[in-house]
Amino acid sequence: MLIVVCIKQVPDTTQVQIDPVTNTLVRDGIPFIVNPYDTHALEAALQLKDRFGFRVAAISMGPPNAEAALRKALSLGVDRAILLSDRVFGGADTLATSNVLTRAIQLLHADEKVGMVLCGKQTIDGDTAQVGPGIATRLGYTQLTLVDRVENVDTLRGKIRVRRKLEGRHEVVESPFPVMLTVVRELNNPRYPTVPMRLASEDARVELWNNEVLKLDVGTIGLKGSPTWVSRIFSPERAKGEVIGDGLKDPSGAAHLLIDKLLSKDLLAI
Amino acid sequence: MKTLLIGEYRDGKLLDSTYELLGFAGQLGAEAALFLVGSDSALPAYGGKLYLAPASEAGEFNPDLHKQLVLDAVKKENPDCIVFIHSSYGWDLAPRVAAALKAAQVSEVVAVKDGGYEVGACNGKMRRLIKPATAQAVITIQAGAFQPVQPGGSPQVEKLAVSASSAIEFLGYEPAEDKAVDLAKAEVIVSAGRGIGKKDNVSVIAALAKALGGELGASRPVVDAEWVTHDHQVGTTGQTVSPKLYVACGISGAIQHLAGMKKSDFILAINKDKDAPIGEVADVLVVADLMQFVPALTAKLT
Repeated sequence: MLIVVCIKQVPDTTQVQIDPVTNTLVRDGIPFIVNPYDTHALEAALQLKDRFGFRVAAISMGPPNAEAALRKALSLGVDRAILLSDRVFGGADTLATSNVLTRAIQLLHADEKVGMVLCGKQTIDGDTAQVGPGIATRLGYTQLTLVDRVENVDTLRGKIRVRRKLEGRHEVVESPFPVMLTVVRELNNPRYPTVPMRLASEDARVELWNNEVLKLDVGTIGLKGSPTWVSRIFSPERAKGEVIGDGLKDPSGAAHLLIDKLLSKDLLAI
Repeated sequence: MKTLLIGEYRDGKLLDSTYELLGFAGQLGAEAALFLVGSDSALPAYGGKLYLAPASEAGEFNPDLHKQLVLDAVKKENPDCIVFIHSSYGWDLAPRVAAALKAAQVSEVVAVKDGGYEVGACNGKMRRLIKPATAQAVITIQAGAFQPVQPGGSPQVEKLAVSASSAIEFLGYEPAEDKAVDLAKAEVIVSAGRGIGKKDNVSVIAALAKALGGELGASRPVVDAEWVTHDHQVGTTGQTVSPKLYVACGISGAIQHLAGMKKSDFILAINKDKDAPIGEVADVLVVADLMQFVPALTAKLT
């Protein structure tokens, strides 16, 4: 059985700065990294490989320099790494991206039976959390999102049992293969490449699949296949050091105002 | 414009976030119909149309069954916009519905603006204004971003029947457990500084950390005084962290501490001194006596 891990190369958003004059992202010198959530998906796949002998393929759609992310996956121990790169894939939103990744998984499946697709719970640049489920729906796989523990893999019955992280509780569910999982950080601690593996990965082959390989209708991919348009990108207003309420005279009232503030920033449901 | 609003139940109770969906529809100036998988015994205070499916059959969340039920309601209602809360429920269900309808999806909308939807990007550092181009669009809204609207009244209920089957078997719930300290992974950190006064007060800060679903952090003086173990220390001689929410309690903001936490997405400082250096990196500041304010805050959160 083949496990396919979808990874994305993203700018390290913890290092992204806003230009105070132009109010846009300063991209110069920002390092690219493998989307952090995807590193946990890779680790999960590699642990399953170690335990059950499954094979693992990493795929990534992106510009030619996204090869670096796939080379990192090779250094960690994936068996195949495929870069999905073509000018016609560019400018894709989540739907067009899902179309490309889905076709790639179907092609991999034609070579070797795919039982599981793993994705990070979201990317740190787009924050949409749509691509994994988009792939699952197109492939007809069972979708299990927000997985924080793989409880059991029953290779005889072809089933997987996982725990999902919900608000204030967990849910344990079981499903037959094939499944698409999206994973959260608590799932595992990603390994580091060993020196020999890293050296070997420098010479290993990253396969390049363009649209001559995927043969997708150009109306379904790239900018043309994208039904959402980003009309503007801008920096949020950030009120530095805003004082909330009067905590000395009215602690309870200040607590109330603070909770409203945290709610408005979506910080109470993490 | 017509919206279909997907509300949520948990443990048999209607979640208040359902009314935020009505607030969102109000901001759009759109007609609203509600969709719920729940029960007759806990209906929303809302006088409009309600598509109701029985949780007794579909579970509070079975993704396959709920998807089919939402799609049935979409077929009957033919809305322009299907709206979820960006909770674990909407997170999981919305993209399935979008994919099934071949509809554009916009995730975690924080505002409606200039005929588009404003969403966060780059871990909240930027905003994007997004316009869907399909006739039907699927939206998830950020919890807390829209003012709840509770119109009152009793809904006109149209019942939906479960007809799909699911490969997913629900085996049970587990409570969220106490985790080992791993500050680097924590999305919320609540740190204690010298301003907490004495060791006994650590528990007050720890209780706030728990209420916020986060980990306890500490500044160096607190660790040096052995009020808290070193694995909790944030700063140049401890751990460098960048959680989504960092709460500094009684921390004046020594430069070594700031270096360890200033990349956090959102910084809340609670301090007696409004001019402490921590205020320069904080997004919001509460000037208060910690031992009065923190317990009051914790009580409101739990």
